[in-house]
Amino acid sequence: MQLNDLKSKNLTLKIFKLSALSLLSTACLQASAADTDWAQIEQAAKGQTVYFNAWGGGETINRYIEWAAEQAKQRYELTVKHVKITDAAEVVKRIQTEQQAGRTEDGSVDLIWVNGENFSALKRANLLYGPWAEQLPNWSQVDTNKPVRQDFSESTDGLEAPWGTAQLTFITDRSKVSSPPDSAAALLAFAQQHPGRVTYPKPPNFHGTTFLKQLLLDLSTDRSALNKPVDPTQLASLTQPLWAYLDQLHPVTWQQGKSFPASNTEMHQKLADGELLISLSFNPNEAASLIQAGQLPTSAYSFGFKKGTIGNVHFVAIPFNAPAKQGAQVFANFLLSPEAQARKAEIKVWGDPSVLAADKLPATQTEASVLPSDIPTLAEPHASWVEALEKEWLKRYGS
Amino acid sequence: MRLTQLTRLNPHPPITWLLSAVAWLGLGLVLGLPLLGLLPVVSIGLNPIGWQMLWSDPQTLPALKLSLFSALSSTSLALVLACSLVFLFYPSKVWQRLQQQLPIFLALPHAAFAIGLVFLLAPSGWLVRLIAPLAAWTEPPLWTTTQDPYALSLSLALSLKETWFLFWVLTGLLNQQWLLKQTWVAQSLGYGLWQTGWQILFPQLLSRLAWPLLAVFAYGLSVVDMALILGPSTPPTLAVLAWQWFADPDPNQQLKAHSLALLLMLLLVLGAILAYALYQLLHFSLAHPQGKRQGIRRFGFLKFVLRYTLTLPFWLVLMLILLWSLAETWFFPHRLPAELSLQAWQQARFEPLYQSLLIGVGSVGLALPLSLIWLEWGSRQPAWLYLPLIIPALPFTAAQYQVALTLKLDGSLLAVIWSHLAWVLPYMLLMLTGAYRNLDERFMLTAKTLGYSHWQSCWSIKWRLLLRPILAACAVGFAVSVAQYLPTVFVGGGRIATVTTEAVSLSAGGHRPSLAVQALLQALLPLLGFALSLSLSQWYGRRHPGLN
Repeated sequence: MQLNDLKSKNLTLKIFKLSALSLLSTACLQASAADTDWAQIEQAAKGQTVYFNAWGGGETINRYIEWAAEQAKQRYELTVKHVKITDAAEVVKRIQTEQQAGRTEDGSVDLIWVNGENFSALKRANLLYGPWAEQLPNWSQVDTNKPVRQDFSESTDGLEAPWGTAQLTFITDRSKVSSPPDSAAALLAFAQQHPGRVTYPKPPNFHGTTFLKQLLLDLSTDRSALNKPVDPTQLASLTQPLWAYLDQLHPVTWQQGKSFPASNTEMHQKLADGELLISLSFNPNEAASLIQAGQLPTSAYSFGFKKGTIGNVHFVAIPFNAPAKQGAQVFANFLLSPEAQARKAEIKVWGDPSVLAADKLPATQTEASVLPSDIPTLAEPHASWVEALEKEWLKRYGS
Repeated sequence: MRLTQLTRLNPHPPITWLLSAVAWLGLGLVLGLPLLGLLPVVSIGLNPIGWQMLWSDPQTLPALKLSLFSALSSTSLALVLACSLVFLFYPSKVWQRLQQQLPIFLALPHAAFAIGLVFLLAPSGWLVRLIAPLAAWTEPPLWTTTQDPYALSLSLALSLKETWFLFWVLTGLLNQQWLLKQTWVAQSLGYGLWQTGWQILFPQLLSRLAWPLLAVFAYGLSVVDMALILGPSTPPTLAVLAWQWFADPDPNQQLKAHSLALLLMLLLVLGAILAYALYQLLHFSLAHPQGKRQGIRRFGFLKFVLRYTLTLPFWLVLMLILLWSLAETWFFPHRLPAELSLQAWQQARFEPLYQSLLIGVGSVGLALPLSLIWLEWGSRQPAWLYLPLIIPALPFTAAQYQVALTLKLDGSLLAVIWSHLAWVLPYMLLMLTGAYRNLDERFMLTAKTLGYSHWQSCWSIKWRLLLRPILAACAVGFAVSVAQYLPTVFVGGGRIATVTTEAVSLSAGGHRPSLAVQALLQALLPLLGFALSLSLSQWYGRRHPGLN
């Protein structure tokens, strides 16, 4: 018995050594192959035009993309055109229609800024090219401790490359609010003290739905159920605390909950004008960059919930029928470079936090108006919760 | 029998056949193709499952009420207001002033107007800021103004805007002599202008206003951008619901969107039937006038109120958009920006402006010859030509997109111009048909008797006589093209950026100065078109007195 054991141990060791050796050599081979592959991709990308479909509602973001496009032109002879969209779901629809019309090659989108349920819709319908993201040279610099391989509990499978990180952040004005609410319950009390001055964007607006998920996470006793796909039998009992909460909140919200802002940017304006006391954003640095742009008073600052706020990563993906797949990869790789990521994180440029490891980036300045770093990050619920919550919300409060 | 003999005696020369073929081909390409593409859209919309889901959606019924209310009330209010303007002020010094301002009111796009109205009327808007110091407000009052749950602000904004559209159409009709003559006769019999207007002119004008009124009603039913900015959100109007569901990747929502598109068309037909019934009722009730003279009344107060409530909002909106485009920081309760800067203008992108110009000129350049040829050598009863003005924009644009996709033309400038033509062409035809119908046929007859060919008499007599309506039609066509949002986005594959797509995508964001810049540019382009058209026709009119 003992002998046998030893033998088998020896054998296992041998096998392990062998396989380690072979793994190492294939890794080397793969690396050099990857290098030549990448050179080929860069070569093919020259002269291509990449239609980058990205939300166009933010001036600072638009200007950053313009800068990145200029860099791509200079460095890679690549033309990047920013197609300004209002909602990524429209682009998902467009790609779907193209597929149904048999347009398998010459699609209208080369690269799309996406995450969450839109990514999962594209992935499920096989509308994405790839995997390609983890073959990008700059992938090695990505901080894989961040959830860059999970997009709303959906595995990315290399079909999208991370671009930035986000964490739900509330913004208020110090001249009016000195101690902001730090939980869902405190928010309700705050709204009752200041009737008509609290609201959230109307779901299915991205930020509105995120606010619902945030409340749900804060109010739930069992968060693990939220990381799994929605179980229809449990939906009612799991979401019951949320609806009970909203039933109490709505009578004291802006316009008594009969009307909701269309977007969080509309809320920023209302915050600036004093119509609202609280706004929200997915960018922890948003308050600082809005102050710089003159859109919020200098007394604006950020806060979060004590138990944490939802955080996620946003990505870029390439549709299956993109004509400039190489160009799109080259541009995505540039967006992941330390230079582009550091510039993006600068508050006066955009203020979007990087996905790279901290040691790959120059130290950034911190401002008093940004989200305090001691607010924990909560994982996004599974992508299927988005639709379930939106549907139920519309049923209850949509009319 | 007589007709065939006539054709045998006077066989069509080849050029006529050719022109007729061009007219049919052009219209077939512009309108026939998307109508064909509409078939699958309609057939999906007929699916009973879609209707069932539509019916069970709690948003549908309240949204239906909102849509019906805003479209019906804005159309009827605009009609009453436009006619009141005409009957109170025609012809007078004020009339001329209104005429001078008209191009600005027409040119200001709906989206820009709505954005400006929010700047003006919101609880933190400029009007409240005006009175805030008096009321000692440091925070905006908790009022409901814009985006009210009853769609009142949306209806009022639509009526204001459409009043001037109808006023413009009425101006065209008033240039005709019969109207003046009837007015003189009625006045000589002791009727005041107000009474003459409502009892004699109004019923006659109504029949000529049928198409424009239907277009206004259809617009009110299917407007998306204005409803997003000014309308309620829980629920929104039907058009906004359709727009949201069409953009949703979920096939169930798609199905609902198709059924809803059909429902919108159905509502339009119902609206038209209702309007026709009312029209008959009006004729019936006016059939036996009592002959009671109300005499000449001055209406001083009414004139004052009407004139300024209909013009001032536009000027305030323009002023606020201009101020916002120059504002660096401007918080409540300041009446004026704390700091002014040219930053938003310096950072503005002007490429969309050039694109809009190119597409607008291209569409008008194609639509003008096509509509002239059509009116001369095509069919004279072109009711089906106006379908794009009536079919809610969303299914129609979706159909256009399908066609462009099949022909692999989506995303090209040419395809976008083609998609705009579906609206530009009917609007231009609408403007031209009336003038065409009212032109004295004897001019042409005389020209032909004197030996001119049909083509020659058109070129040297008819089209010159019609130069004023032709120029007006061009200005309208250009404005229509500039304001197109949905077809530009759909058929352009999102790749073609115009001032309108730029303004709408910026309105989703928060930087008001940049939004104001694009909104101003969006207003400026059609404004220039109208100014050019007006000054050209005035210049030509001075040299050729007695022109239609």
